[in-house]
Amino acid sequence: MRKLCLGEIEEDLILPFPEISAPEREMLDTVKTSLDQLFESHAADFAEWDRAGEFPESYLDELREFGLFSFVIPEEYGGMGFGSAAYSRALQQVAMYDASTAVTVGAHSSIGMRGLLLFGTEEQRAKYYPKLATGESIAAFCLTEPSSGSDAASIKTRAERQGDHWVLNGEKIWITNGGIADFFTVFAKTGGPEERRNLSAFIVTRDMPGVSVGPHEDKMGIRASSTTTVNFENVRVPAENLLGEEGKGFKIAMHILNSGRTGLGGGCVGGMKRLIALATKQANERVQFGKKISEFGLVKKKVGEMVIDCYAAESVVSMVAGFTDSGHKDYAIEAAISKVFSSEALWRTADEALQIAAGNGYMSEYPYERAMRDSRINRIFEGTNDILRLFIALSAMDDVGQNLKEIAQSVRGVFNDPIKGFGVLSDYALRRATLATGIRREHFQFTKLPEVLKAEQEVFESATRELAEATDRILRKHGKGIIGKQFASARLAEVMIHLFVFASVLSRVTSSIQKHGVNGAQREIQICRAFGFRVRRHMQIFLHEMEENADEDVKGLADHAFELERYQWDTI
Amino acid sequence: MKILVAVKRVADPDNANRIKVSSGGDAIDASGLEWKINPFDEYALEAALRLTENGASPKKREGEVVVVTMAPKEAETTLRSALATGADRAIRVEAGDDDLDGRVVAHALRKLVEEEKPDVVLMGKQTVDGDSNQVGQMLAELLDWPMATFAATLRQEQDGSLLVGREVDGGVLSLRVRPPCLVTVDLRIVSPEGVYSSLTDPSFKYNEGVRFAPLPAIMQAKRKPLTVRPLSELTDVALTTKYTKFELPAKRSAGVKVKDVAELVQKLTEEARVL
Ligand SMILES: Cc1cc2nc3c(=O)[nH]c(=O)nc-3n(C[C@H](O)[C@H](O)[C@H](O)COP(=O)(O)OP(=O)(O)OC[C@H]3O[C@@H](n4cnc5c(N)ncnc54)[C@H](O)[C@@H]3O)c2cc1C
Repeated sequence: MRKLCLGEIEEDLILPFPEISAPEREMLDTVKTSLDQLFESHAADFAEWDRAGEFPESYLDELREFGLFSFVIPEEYGGMGFGSAAYSRALQQVAMYDASTAVTVGAHSSIGMRGLLLFGTEEQRAKYYPKLATGESIAAFCLTEPSSGSDAASIKTRAERQGDHWVLNGEKIWITNGGIADFFTVFAKTGGPEERRNLSAFIVTRDMPGVSVGPHEDKMGIRASSTTTVNFENVRVPAENLLGEEGKGFKIAMHILNSGRTGLGGGCVGGMKRLIALATKQANERVQFGKKISEFGLVKKKVGEMVIDCYAAESVVSMVAGFTDSGHKDYAIEAAISKVFSSEALWRTADEALQIAAGNGYMSEYPYERAMRDSRINRIFEGTNDILRLFIALSAMDDVGQNLKEIAQSVRGVFNDPIKGFGVLSDYALRRATLATGIRREHFQFTKLPEVLKAEQEVFESATRELAEATDRILRKHGKGIIGKQFASARLAEVMIHLFVFASVLSRVTSSIQKHGVNGAQREIQICRAFGFRVRRHMQIFLHEMEENADEDVKGLADHAFELERYQWDTI
Repeated sequence: MKILVAVKRVADPDNANRIKVSSGGDAIDASGLEWKINPFDEYALEAALRLTENGASPKKREGEVVVVTMAPKEAETTLRSALATGADRAIRVEAGDDDLDGRVVAHALRKLVEEEKPDVVLMGKQTVDGDSNQVGQMLAELLDWPMATFAATLRQEQDGSLLVGREVDGGVLSLRVRPPCLVTVDLRIVSPEGVYSSLTDPSFKYNEGVRFAPLPAIMQAKRKPLTVRPLSELTDVALTTKYTKFELPAKRSAGVKVKDVAELVQKLTEEARVL
């Protein structure tokens, strides 16, 4: 993505579209059948548990017995050993039935125990994997605190070294699985209070004296999943429970979140597939004005867009999963893009599915209102989409020429650290010149896309050029000040999001054409075309608003409202 | 007890509308079809698993279940699923759909039965693609074994014989067959009281339907033995069924609404000519 902002197309990265290996596909097939049977046997219960606001213990036992907590744990420790792609696909299947179950399993596998997977020592793994695989121990990820949400580096939980122990004190809130977990990945400050980023990660277990959890939070959606506070009062954590390096906790937290994103993305895709099935059936059955409402253009528009959104989300999530599985290191921006896009695509789909069902959609007897409540969380947790947009835009603009290590590792880094080496702007200008003169042209074009996608390829290439020029202009105009220009950053992010999703779609449709021929891939080509139009639309808005906008007015109005803390006008 | 279960993968009946016939009508175009195990074969497998366990503690296996299919390599997914739900071993006979008809399958199975020496062969009453309903009967004849078809219930008695309940018009017909024997099953066999091994308490009730494989079992199934045999090793009989033409069923035209019973009767008599 960074390269894209320079006008370069990393074709080798984008093509061919990553595929799940044949043995893994075969296994997923069996897993899918089993999951279907497991969840169909509870089809009637999910609405009930949503109302009750929790799962019965017997259901959790059933999930444990079934092995649902073993997805990402290596085979030799009793797990399924799924890579990102297979895991994401499996979680998709779970989410097709129940979002609360998907979030419970996801918080365990995507983030709760992922620190152990990525940074654990051999001893730590041998000790915890077997119980995590059977679900005897369920995992939770504890970062958020009452005064630290998006600003994770500001956490107050502290760990003090005392001999061969760390003593942990602090309070975490909104911890998924808090009430059912035995294994907590906890982030605490290990440096002085002034050292914002000096955090470390620890493995804390429920049986350690001083660990306690609060009551189940009553919440909007994913109601049956457990969300609680988790408190640490003089908890003595053995030194060997330090996860990864001391002082690297912030980096570890961000790495975990990046690595787990395809889980959330898979969940969103599953939710969308279910909603498309519900909405199409509903529209085929409902008759108004003597016709099935599925015959009306505006209903078709909704369903068509849902299909495009779902395919696009599925493509970008698979692409990112492919990056992860092939050992690609620097995919944080792409992972963030997949999270933002798939969570918003799901939200649009839930909203429009409910609109198609209309009055029925609003009734709790039907599944739509719950789907909407359940979908909403995805735009908030694991980094709000707003923060991720800033991250996407700023890290792409940040120090493009430099070594990865020097790139600010996080949103926080981007906000706090002055963007390093703005001298590279000259490097940047050099590349711009290259771009303009057409030297090394092959990096600025696709060479392997099929002929039928010519028009879409051109949309992509010209949008990439425009993006590069725009990034350049934005940087020239604002310099380091870009950090404060959130309106501009968010616009840039919007284009980057759509371009990378488009790249994923192009790649997938190309693979499909290779496999099934142009005729066999006809529908997918339509999706590609329609998505190309979306990209152009976003590009036009972006280019236009970069030059001309009402940003200052809008900001002024916000400041005015903040000052009054109310809306000023009335008609009486 | 050792049980051999014969299974076939069929085009998913839930997507039957995707079936296409090639332009000349000489073959079925299988591209784009989704495959799954023939439902009645799945029930036969469930029945075999129930017969080789105490229903209350199904993890402890009491006997051996061998599944066999005749199909190309892709069908191994079906066999792995069967292994995951509890079968012990699998055999795939390498064959394409065009190499097989009921008679060839029955002859090949005979040879396998002679080699494997199971106490019982369990099969679905028919496949939902060809609907021929003949392989079980042919195989029993070739083996000269006692047979019970369309089993709705199965009770294993203390002496090892099987009491088979067959639903017939007006009641249930009970047959007692002594192994070695062959039983084909109907869908009711997977009801909560469908099958009792001699170990299962008569008051025990199964969940309705077939069991599903938990994830650890799916992992274990990867390591269970699956052998591949060429068809030619098992039989050299030739195909006797020749397909001359395939046609899709005529599209159903839309129905009509009738005002009242009188009009219905009139239409049934005059237009449909069924009364
Ligand atoms: C159901 C649920 C489950 C959760 N599970 C977990 C869990 O398992 N583990 C865990 O650690 N946390 C968990 N969380 C916490 C979640 O990750 C946080 O809610 C999230 O990171 C946002 O933090 P916040 O709610 O404090 O919002 P804040 O950070 O207070 O943000 C409020 C608003 O301000 C915006 N904002 C903040 N900073 C900026 C900025 N610099 N520029 C522009 N806009 C900004 C945000 O986008 C947001 O719109 C969970 C939350 C919920 C609701």
